[in-house]
Amino acid sequence: MSANTAGTGTAGFSIGPEEDADEFEQELWATVDEVPDPHIPVSLVDMAMIYDIEVDAGEVTVTMTYPCMGCPAYDMIQDDVRAVLRTVRGVTDVTIEVTWDPVWSKDMLTDRAREELRDAGIGL
Amino acid sequence: MSADAESRWPAVARDYVQAIADTKLLLGQRYGEWMLKGPNLEDDISGASNGQDEIGQVRQLFRLLEKQGVDRDWLETDREPAEYANAQPLDEEAEAWPTFMVQVALSDRAAWLLLDAIRHEDFTGMVQKMGEDEYFHLEHHDARLETLAVDQPEAVEAALERYFPGILAFIGPATYGAGEDPLVEADFTDRAVAEIRGAFREHYVDLFAGTDVTVPALTDDVPDPDEWDEKRRRSGDGHIDQRVADQLQGVTNREYVIE
Repeated sequence: MSANTAGTGTAGFSIGPEEDADEFEQELWATVDEVPDPHIPVSLVDMAMIYDIEVDAGEVTVTMTYPCMGCPAYDMIQDDVRAVLRTVRGVTDVTIEVTWDPVWSKDMLTDRAREELRDAGIGL
Repeated sequence: MSADAESRWPAVARDYVQAIADTKLLLGQRYGEWMLKGPNLEDDISGASNGQDEIGQVRQLFRLLEKQGVDRDWLETDREPAEYANAQPLDEEAEAWPTFMVQVALSDRAAWLLLDAIRHEDFTGMVQKMGEDEYFHLEHHDARLETLAVDQPEAVEAALERYFPGILAFIGPATYGAGEDPLVEADFTDRAVAEIRGAFREHYVDLFAGTDVTVPALTDDVPDPDEWDEKRRRSGDGHIDQRVADQLQGVTNREYVIE
């Protein structure tokens, strides 16, 4: 077993903006929530692929992960996130950081995602 | 983007990760070559899926190498065949199914053992995620090899003899024992090459127990420590064909690249 074991699942992990997020950060999260996973009818936020969004004087850093390391839409998804955030007034630059800590698991899916996946006939 | 002095890996660690990444790149290539030539549809599907996994892993390893100052163009599209540091058995396209299964099984398992030994924080979660892919690769290989060992033991044994020396060279020399492995000394890995060599062979001894297949012995002079190339983790100056390098670099289809 690797020494490089990260946490998995939802323990200590929450989706979406922090409780003390200001209006601008909430707008950024809501904007990214419009980007769908290209494989299934669920947003990247509901898929728990967006771990963090930070903003510093208009420069936005999105920290995200992927359910599958070999995702064929890897670049396309990042392009979509950049494109949608650049439409937000006040955003001057967007950087994407990919992380595997914690490792994504389906336990992280939001309740809304579970419901939408079930409605689409996708079992969990 | 390059790492600052504090987060920069030692050169021996960059070489180690480069060799793992290039081995996975060539695994992706070899899986791709065989994904429509397997004996049944399940093998073809497995080949396609494994190939996709390997390329996904290469993308992440290249990302880390780029952060360590390795040029992205060199990594992806601007290399001579002799600059690839893949495991030597993957230099060639296997000519028969049992040979291919031994080739990729040994290479994939050795690469996984080397990855799993990494303890550096830059790999937190990443190796674990790669392990989720590798679990299925290695299970499939072992299941196929168990069957082939019964049906075609001579072919399996011949392939083991052919590829074992190159895989041992990829893992590293026997002289890298506890207290002598520079990667352990640098706190980049948590187990010595000599330990990995033993675990690697033991796995196949157990797998082929009860069959007519004999696993080659571990000998301390394979690879010869004096001739071993630490950068390419092999002995000798062999390399992939130019045709394969062109395919890896997308030379033929470069006009279709969307920048």
